[in-house]
Amino acid sequence: MGWEEKAARGYSEFVQAAQQSRGRPVFALFSGDKDAQGRSWCPDCVTAEPVVRSELNSLPDGAVFIYCQVGDRAYWKDPNNEFRKNLKLTAVPTLLKYGTPQKLVEEECLNRELVHMLFTED
Amino acid sequence: METSVPIVFVQRKQIGDYDKTLKAHKEGKIQKLLETKGHDHVQDSYDYDLIVIGGGSGGLAASKEAAKYGKKVLVLDYVTPTPQGTRWGLGGTCVNVGCIPKKLMHQAALLGQALQDSRKFGWQFEEKVKHSWETMTEAVQNYIGSLNWGYRVSLREKKVTYENAFGEFVGPHTIKATNNKGKEKFYTAEKFLIATGERPRYLGVPGDKEYCISSDDLFSLPYCPGKTLVVGASYVALECAGFLAGLGLDVTVMVRSILLRGFDQEMANKIGEHMEEHGVKFIREFVPTKVERIEEGTPGKLKVIAQSTDGREIIEGEYNTVLLAVGRDACTRTIGLDKVGVKINERSGKIPVSDEEQTNVPYIYAIGDVLEGKLELTPVAIQAGRLLARRLYAGATLKCDYVNVPTTVFTPLEYGACGFSEETALEKFGEENIEVYHSYFWPLEWTVPSRDNNKCYAKIICNIQDNERVIGFHVLGPNAGEVTQGFSAAIKCGLTKAQLDNTIGIHPVCAEVYHKSNLI
Repeated sequence: MGWEEKAARGYSEFVQAAQQSRGRPVFALFSGDKDAQGRSWCPDCVTAEPVVRSELNSLPDGAVFIYCQVGDRAYWKDPNNEFRKNLKLTAVPTLLKYGTPQKLVEEECLNRELVHMLFTED
Repeated sequence: METSVPIVFVQRKQIGDYDKTLKAHKEGKIQKLLETKGHDHVQDSYDYDLIVIGGGSGGLAASKEAAKYGKKVLVLDYVTPTPQGTRWGLGGTCVNVGCIPKKLMHQAALLGQALQDSRKFGWQFEEKVKHSWETMTEAVQNYIGSLNWGYRVSLREKKVTYENAFGEFVGPHTIKATNNKGKEKFYTAEKFLIATGERPRYLGVPGDKEYCISSDDLFSLPYCPGKTLVVGASYVALECAGFLAGLGLDVTVMVRSILLRGFDQEMANKIGEHMEEHGVKFIREFVPTKVERIEEGTPGKLKVIAQSTDGREIIEGEYNTVLLAVGRDACTRTIGLDKVGVKINERSGKIPVSDEEQTNVPYIYAIGDVLEGKLELTPVAIQAGRLLARRLYAGATLKCDYVNVPTTVFTPLEYGACGFSEETALEKFGEENIEVYHSYFWPLEWTVPSRDNNKCYAKIICNIQDNERVIGFHVLGPNAGEVTQGFSAAIKCGLTKAQLDNTIGIHPVCAEVYHKSNLI
């Protein structure tokens, strides 16, 4: 059956995508917005994305991978933004398994072994 | 990659092709392998430098430290489910079913008290204050889950291999690891560390395993325990009884003889009195003889039949939950210690070790709660584990100092201690050689809400013959742990009564009582 990718921009789109995937394991990568050239304002996010993508084929069957752009730098810096408030995100990039306390933050996302562990182990 | 035949194996170890075999023969390696009788393994044929059985406070600290020195380490952690079916993740007792959830629930209870006090300080709220067990438990378990995950990330980052499997010795230098699907794997190592800890003891009476819970189950119980009988007088029993009562539940504690055996008894009795005055019922000198289920449900209803210790009286009681906290047994009986000759204390199951944590088998070490005669505390296990790894792999010599370890009991009125209890000091030094100074105190924060003015208590025990050295420190009051931590460092430095007197207190805090000359 494999896995499915969804894209989301902003908090409400993320919530919608997560709700649509109810009942399936959901993994999400939160990154800073990409510009017209496809480059994010967040340098670690730029480095993390290919690492995370290289491990997507180890996702469990039926999993959903949501690639979520959180917003521009100013929005992200606001301590009251919805991602910080509701999802308790502290940094981008964050890669997490939705609905569990399992997540990788910043440099941890650049570690292929850790990404593999998050995707494959309980 | 071998490039020619023959390919030679000796004693299951692959030597290699013709060239490699010739080289090994010239170096004497083949002769060495042929001489081993399977008891002495050749150094470089082990799978790991160190295998740690038990991924708790001690095991994790030791494994991470060993990995720092470039050693190849395997950690085996496995939780045998409780009779009720409860299990948990990596991290051991402290993180999952001990210190962490205990302190968080203790805090939940303290906040309930604070809410009541707050009205006296002017806070106004109309709704009656209620407590949701489910909300609290979910939040606590979520935090524990993040700790479990954090440990796994930490081990992986430090290149320590972790397997969720039950480890047991099957022969010299060899261990069998069985995962929860029954799959078996075998590993060898140069050295082993036993850090398997303990599990709650059951009473051995009808109905105990079927209907009672232990601390292993309490902190993740999916429903409120309701009217609870706590059996036991350990700090586990009193701490649990304390916070359950603080959350508004009807709590009874059934005690066989004394409270907090091993602790200063004056302090233990004060703790009991405080709990009794604040709604916890005590049934003294009784033990349960049978537990029956009257009603199913979550929590359901149980009937407990108990007998007095002198055998004369029998009583019955009905409770929603029975929590057993009558002691903990070391996990040493089913890990194959007999196969490698590790001696244990047959009665207690604990492992005697040297002051370097070495068992009677030179390549096998042990730390943490499994040890005989040592304090069962997380920081002790961590310290012992780290220092052991440094001695084994970094040429260090420092041994773990088990003397003057500070502790705190998180009963509703917290109790912090470091050093001798009054009884032990009297026994060791004699009445004429010790001086006890003590004082009650009333925390400022308790004045306005009219809380007890005669319960908080400070006591120090001094050795007259040694410059009035402080050899015992005791405090009963809020934030006892925070207070005790600083004093424990002072005691390690050789604190004397004169130095206490010459240190100016901070005002207005509870701890200044130790610096006032009205400590009589």
